[in-house]
Amino acid sequence: MTSTGTFAIRTAGAALAAGVVLTACAIPPADDAEARAELAAINDPLEPFNRAMFEFNRAVDRVLLEPVARAYRGVVPDFGRTMVTNFLNNLKSPMILANDLLQGEKDRAGETGGRFMANTIVGLGGLFEVTGIEFHDEDLGQTLAVWGIDEGPYLVLPLLGPSSVRDTAGLAGQTLADPVSRYARDAEHAAVPWIHSGMEAIDARSRNIETLDEIERGAIDFYATVRSLYRQRREDEIRNGRPPRSAPIPEIPWDEDEESETDRASSVVK
Amino acid sequence: MPMRRPGPVVSTFALLALLCAPSVSAGAPGSTRFIEALGEKTIAAITRENVSDEARFEEFGRLFRESFDIDTISRFVLGRHWRRATGEQRKEYRSLFADFIVRTYAGRFRQYSGETLTVDEEREVNERDTIVSSRINTLDGPSIRVDWRVRTKGGDHKIVDIIVEGVSTVITQREEFASMIRRGGGSIESLIAELRERVRPAE
Repeated sequence: MTSTGTFAIRTAGAALAAGVVLTACAIPPADDAEARAELAAINDPLEPFNRAMFEFNRAVDRVLLEPVARAYRGVVPDFGRTMVTNFLNNLKSPMILANDLLQGEKDRAGETGGRFMANTIVGLGGLFEVTGIEFHDEDLGQTLAVWGIDEGPYLVLPLLGPSSVRDTAGLAGQTLADPVSRYARDAEHAAVPWIHSGMEAIDARSRNIETLDEIERGAIDFYATVRSLYRQRREDEIRNGRPPRSAPIPEIPWDEDEESETDRASSVVK
Repeated sequence: MPMRRPGPVVSTFALLALLCAPSVSAGAPGSTRFIEALGEKTIAAITRENVSDEARFEEFGRLFRESFDIDTISRFVLGRHWRRATGEQRKEYRSLFADFIVRTYAGRFRQYSGETLTVDEEREVNERDTIVSSRINTLDGPSIRVDWRVRTKGGDHKIVDIIVEGVSTVITQREEFASMIRRGGGSIESLIAELRERVRPAE
């Protein structure tokens, strides 16, 4: 998911710069307290820029990524694609392990380390999954969140998709530290990070063709849907799937008459 | 789109269709039993042979309407805009919303391919709501975490939310509807018009 070398950082920088210029477009209406609270919860001051980027990414997807992913799925048999997924997950493992440790998750670190050793040695460099331990992902953005850093405004990055200021910073840091891109830098193999990122993109997209089609079909405002999905998914990943401790479970009102009391509270929850 | 995050995960966003039956522990609490029973009925409806697609869709709609608290969901999803809506608007919105979600969810029906459901545990949210945690076991790839938020009203159980891998259906829809209304100049009419468009029969 990382590893486009300095590319990710450069594009992120450009995105931020362009976003700042466009911020002026999204001034919240000052007259309505509830509307203001809603905008604050959505935390998307760069929405006009983000929507433009979102449409750009969709266009790239339509003409390039989706067709390639479909062709890939059509040509490469199941077991071949599973090996690619295994291999890519295994390549990520050192970074996942580092993040497990940075988050103080000893058990999960043990799982990641054990998987990595076994799959690399017995599983022929990660092509085969030999441990039966379920794969889990971690990244620097999640680690920063565990350390208490707020996500900041929502961002849609060119080519890389939905993110936030915190997750973009995490992505940049992680890209610098990533063993694959470090190796490529040292060995002067400029193409390696590009091939790696391309494979990641095709692998991920090929596993989500129907999913994304379905979400898009059911969406009234696709941009807002993806933004909400991204945020909630990230929250869940940061908690490693555990139920929220401080109960940010929305209060869903019961009857119409009690709604006015509870609704105000629940809209703050996000 | 080239999103690096939403995995196979989000897909299942609305996959009532994937419910199945197993693992009824002795004396399973009410909400768990309700979800398991719904799973059995749904699977039976999907796998029934010699039935037309329309009949299946109708059966699904019936199950959906009797198992989901659609009124509560529709109000929650509209959020603060519900209070400002006129009686007329509320009425139209409600009926459109019901058709809209039945349609949206029914689409997943066709993708059923033998997945099964295992209920793991249930926990109380408050005196009226319980979350039933389950896993959908796919044929290839990792299982999917699905939490069912079940509301008990006079001994009767209804689903008010489906949370897939931490993503709540009602929160997502609420943000989406709010965005639609905001972009339509703050009027609920823009949302109603869009819903009308979506549920129009025949495509």
